[in-house]
Amino acid sequence: MSKTAIIELCISAVVFSACLVGYIAAKKGIGEVEPSKKQKRKKTLFFSGVLISAWFFVGVLITEFSGKEMHLAIHFDMFSERVDVFGISIASTTLIALGVSAVLIVLLVLFRIFVLPKFDADNPKGIQNVLELCVEAVENFTANAVGKKAGASLSPYMFSLAMFMIGCASTEMLGLRAPTSDLTCTFAMGLITFALLNIYGIRKHGFAGRLKSMGGAVPAMRPVMIPLKAVSDIAVPVSLACRLFGNMMGGMLVMELLKGVLGGFASGLPAIAGLYFNLFHPLIQIYIFITLSLTFIDEAME
Amino acid sequence: MNFLAAGIIMLGAALGAGFGMCYATSKAVDAVARQPEAASKIQTILLLGCALAESTAIYAFVVALILSTAG
Repeated sequence: MSKTAIIELCISAVVFSACLVGYIAAKKGIGEVEPSKKQKRKKTLFFSGVLISAWFFVGVLITEFSGKEMHLAIHFDMFSERVDVFGISIASTTLIALGVSAVLIVLLVLFRIFVLPKFDADNPKGIQNVLELCVEAVENFTANAVGKKAGASLSPYMFSLAMFMIGCASTEMLGLRAPTSDLTCTFAMGLITFALLNIYGIRKHGFAGRLKSMGGAVPAMRPVMIPLKAVSDIAVPVSLACRLFGNMMGGMLVMELLKGVLGGFASGLPAIAGLYFNLFHPLIQIYIFITLSLTFIDEAME
Repeated sequence: MNFLAAGIIMLGAALGAGFGMCYATSKAVDAVARQPEAASKIQTILLLGCALAESTAIYAFVVALILSTAG
């Protein structure tokens, strides 16, 4: 331990105990009567003093023992690092994605065996109400976007996609790299949407009808319009994949930068920023991904 | 040089996407003020439009990432 670290620790410990004593005294002094503005301010001041000195103490300790220093440079790569599994080189995000789906499947199987037989269709209660609410909301959402018939078959896929993406986003809180911040994962999801929009379009109109609807209403313009429309259809998976990848990668980079800048003092503060970058932001992106997929499928069925 | 190029890319992309999203949001606020009962429908369209406007910036961000990692 260096000398400055010991001095810093002592100072923060003294400030911490002083603030704690002051806070307790202020709280006792207020008692039953209505506290004045000055007393309230005193209480807040002492409480923030307690928090800041505790944060500083922990930060100095972590810096001393882990040797983590504040640095602005972060190391990142477009593609995730590869790991060897039984002699086969696999991207680490693939393993994480497999783990997420395994956890989801095990949870679902346990749910199917233990919880689902207890459900009663006539008088629902407890978790059954929550589930019915979720399923109904997703079904209404897809039915509004693509119509009732296609919506009935698309809503299970969209719901499981959302579950998978939420699982992927929450791995970032464990310090792993989220699979959705790898271009291969998001491109696979985009390709599924591309396949779905072609399948639903051809099932609705037939192959010739799909070409006709791609060409527009004027027959003379069709030789020009069909290639243009084909190019814009091929751009669908690319744009979906790049959008999701860029957003998740951006969120991850901001969090990495924050952790890098704070160094050993990165206790508590990244959690507050993580509420936005690891929770709210992925949820919005999932919503947008699903809405856009449904919009493209609806467009192909017109 | 690559980092300079990435910076310039992000400048242009952020400016364009920022103006686009600001215009869309101001129009949506106008529409909600005129017809508060249509708020949920407008919100869906606004989110979609903002995502599409944002996507240009995201493409530029991906290009900047590729440039800055290409070394």
